[in-house]
Amino acid sequence: MTVAERMLSIDRRIIFLMIGLCTLIPLLYPVGLAIKVSPEVRAVYDYMESLPEGSVFLLSLDFDPASKPELYPQAVALLRHAFKKNLRVIAMTLWLPGTGMADEVVSRVARESEKTAGRDYAFLGWSPGGSSVIINMGQDLYKAFPTDYNNQPTKDLEVLRGVQSLRDVNYVVSLAAGTTGIETWYVFGKDKYKFELGGGCTGVIAPGLYPLLRSGQINGLIGGLRGAAEYEVLIGRKDIAVAGMDAQSATHFAIILLAILCNVFYFSIRTSRKAVGQN
Amino acid sequence: MTFLRRQLPLLITFVTGILFAVQYYVPHPLSEQMLTSVSKWLQIIGGFALVLGVTSLFHIHAVKIRRRESGWGYSVVLYAAIVATMAAGFGYSPAAGQWINGKETIKGAMTAFGWVYAYMMVPLQGTMFAILAFFIASAAYRSFRARSREAAVLLIAAVIVMLGRVPLGEHLIPISGDITQWILNVLNASVRRAILIGISLGAVALSLKIIFGVERAYLGGGKE
Amino acid sequence: MSFEMMLGAWVATGLTLFILTFLYQDNPLFKLAEHLYVGVSVGYAIVKTYDTVVIRLIYEPMVKQGEWSLLIPLAIGALMLTRYVPAAAWMSRIAFAFVVGVGSGLAIPRVISSYILKQIEDTVRPLLTLAADGGATFTYDLLDPASNLNAVVLLVGVVSVLFYFFFSVEHTGPGKAVARTGIIFLMIAFGAAFGYTVMARMSLLIGRLTDLIEYAQPQYGWATWCLLAITIATLLVFRARRQGTEPPQ
Repeated sequence: MTVAERMLSIDRRIIFLMIGLCTLIPLLYPVGLAIKVSPEVRAVYDYMESLPEGSVFLLSLDFDPASKPELYPQAVALLRHAFKKNLRVIAMTLWLPGTGMADEVVSRVARESEKTAGRDYAFLGWSPGGSSVIINMGQDLYKAFPTDYNNQPTKDLEVLRGVQSLRDVNYVVSLAAGTTGIETWYVFGKDKYKFELGGGCTGVIAPGLYPLLRSGQINGLIGGLRGAAEYEVLIGRKDIAVAGMDAQSATHFAIILLAILCNVFYFSIRTSRKAVGQN
Repeated sequence: MTFLRRQLPLLITFVTGILFAVQYYVPHPLSEQMLTSVSKWLQIIGGFALVLGVTSLFHIHAVKIRRRESGWGYSVVLYAAIVATMAAGFGYSPAAGQWINGKETIKGAMTAFGWVYAYMMVPLQGTMFAILAFFIASAAYRSFRARSREAAVLLIAAVIVMLGRVPLGEHLIPISGDITQWILNVLNASVRRAILIGISLGAVALSLKIIFGVERAYLGGGKE
Repeated sequence: MSFEMMLGAWVATGLTLFILTFLYQDNPLFKLAEHLYVGVSVGYAIVKTYDTVVIRLIYEPMVKQGEWSLLIPLAIGALMLTRYVPAAAWMSRIAFAFVVGVGSGLAIPRVISSYILKQIEDTVRPLLTLAADGGATFTYDLLDPASNLNAVVLLVGVVSVLFYFFFSVEHTGPGKAVARTGIIFLMIAFGAAFGYTVMARMSLLIGRLTDLIEYAQPQYGWATWCLLAITIATLLVFRARRQGTEPPQ
C-alpha cells in the first residue's frame, strides 16, 4: 500500500479525535477575533430598533432541543433586545419537543430584564397543527390560544390589549429548525394577514431561505450560531454565541484541511495508477 | 356499501378541497368564520394523529419483548422511560401543592417533569445530533473528491463558504466574506428559487390531483 | 447548589458521555442512552399532547364554555383511530379524506401566491435603474444583491436551473449550453449548502461541549471528569469481556 492509500484508509476515530480537539481547545482558550456583521442579520436588528415602545413582537421558537446550540442563543439575544426596547413580547412554539425549552428561555430572560408575565410578556405555549395554528391566530388570537401556558385566560392579559389577531402584531420572528417554521409562517400567515416577518434558522436550512429574503417576503435572516454571534455583537452583549466562534473557526479550517488532504492523496493515487498503466 | 367505502371519501376530499381553495378569495364573514372553525378542528384532529404514531412505536417494542428477540432488555428500558416520564408529568407535586399536569415549572420552581425534560431529554437529543459533526468530518475526508469538473466547482464553493463564514477566515482572507455573501445572495438564491418554484408547481399539481380523485394513495387502510 | 441541580448535572453529563461512546464503537452504554432518549421523548409527547389537546382544546372549551360543535372534530379524530381495527378500518378513510382535502384546498392558493407568483415577480426585475436625474443607469455592484448586474445573474441562474430540471425536452444544441450553465449554478449552490451544513453540525458539537465544560467545574462536583473516568473504565471492561469470549486465533 502506498502512503496515499494508507492515509486515505486511516481509522476514522483519529479524525473524530482531531475534530474533538479542534472544538475543545478554542473553547478553553478563546482568542476573540472580530466578527463582521452581515446585512441580513443587521436588517432584523434595524427593524427591531425602529419599533416604537409598546409595539407587539411575536417570537415563535419553532425548534427542538436538537437545534438548541444554534437557536437558543438567537432567542436570548432577540428577547434581550425586545425587552430593552420595552416591546410587548408574545412567545410561542409550533414544535412540541421545544415547549419546555421555550418556556425556560422566555422566563429566564424576562426575569433578568425585570419584566412581568401578563403585563410585559406572555408565553402561549404549544398547540398542534402548525399551519392550522397560524391560520387560527390570524383569524382570532383568543380562539387559537384561550389560555396562556400558565392557564391564565388570554383575554385578561394586559400585554395582549388591542391585539385581536396576527394583523395587530407589528413584527413576527420565527426561529426555525425545519418545516413548520419560517416558510409556514409566510405561506399561512404573512401572505394573508400582512404582518412583517423576520427569520432565524439553523445553518442547514439557511441557504434555502435566501429566495424569500431576496424577494422581501422575510425582511431579515439570522443564520446559525454565526448569526446569533452577529446579533449579540449588535446588541452589545457578547454571550455563548460569540464564545463559540473561535471553535467554529478551528473546526472549519480542520474540515478544509481534511478535504484538501483527501484530494491530494486521491490525485496522487490516480497519477501513480496512470503511470503504472502506461508502463 | 361500496359508496361509503370508495366514493364517499373521494367526494369529501373533492368538496372540502374546492371549498377551501375558493375560501381564500371570498372575504365574506361567513367564509372567514368557516375558516376559523375548521382550522380549529384540524388542530384537534392533528392531536389524534400523534396518537397513531405513538401506538405503532409501542407495538414494535411490545413484539420485541414478547418474542424475547436480541436486545429486548433495551425495549424494557424504553417502556420504563415512557412510564416514568408520564408518571412525572401526570403526578402530584408536594412542594407546589398541586397536580403537575404536564408543566415543567410551577410558580417558577422546577417540577419532576421539568427535571426529566431539562436533564434527560435536552442533553440526549442534543448529543444525538451533535455526533453528526464527527461523521461529517469523516465523510469530508473519505469521499469529498473532485472526481469531475462539477465536483471541483462544488468543492471550491464549499471551501469559500466555510472560510467566509468564520472570523478567522474573514481575518486571513477578507475577500472570502464578500464572495460568500455574493454566492449566498445571488448564485445560491437563484438556484434555490428555481428549485422552490419547481417544487411548488409540483405540490400544486399533486394537490389538484388529490382533490379531483386522480391520486388516492393517501387514503390507505381497509379493503376497497 | 440544590440536590436536584447537582443530580441533574450528573445525569445530563453521564447521558451525554454515553452517547459520545458511539464514536469509539457501538456498545451497551450507547444503546441504553438511545432507548432512554426514545422513551423520554415519547413520554413527553404523550403528556403534552394529552394536556394540550384533550384538556385545553377539547374538554375545557366543550364542557366549561359549551362549544359542543367540537364534537365533530372529536368524531373525525376517533374515526382516524379505527385504522387499527381491521373490520372498521375503512372508516378511517373518511377522516383522512377530510384532513387531506382541507389541507390541499388551503395550500393551493397560498402556495401559488407565496412561492410561485411572488418568486417569479422578484426574478423579473427591471434591467436598468432610474437615476436621480431621470435617466437610466446600469448598476453593477456585485456586493449589492439588488444591483442590475446581479439581477441578470439571478435571472440566468433561475432560468438555466429550471431548464435543467425540465426533462421533457432533450438537452441538445443551445439547450445543452443552458443545461450546463444550470449544472454549474447547482454545484455552487450545493457547495454553499455543504459549507453551511458543516457550520451547523459543528455548532451543535460546540453547544454540547460547552455544557460538558460547564459541568466539569467544582460546583458540580467535577461531574465531567468523574463520569469520563467511569465511562472509559466501563468501555475497557466491555472490550476485555469481548476479547475474552472471542475464540483464540
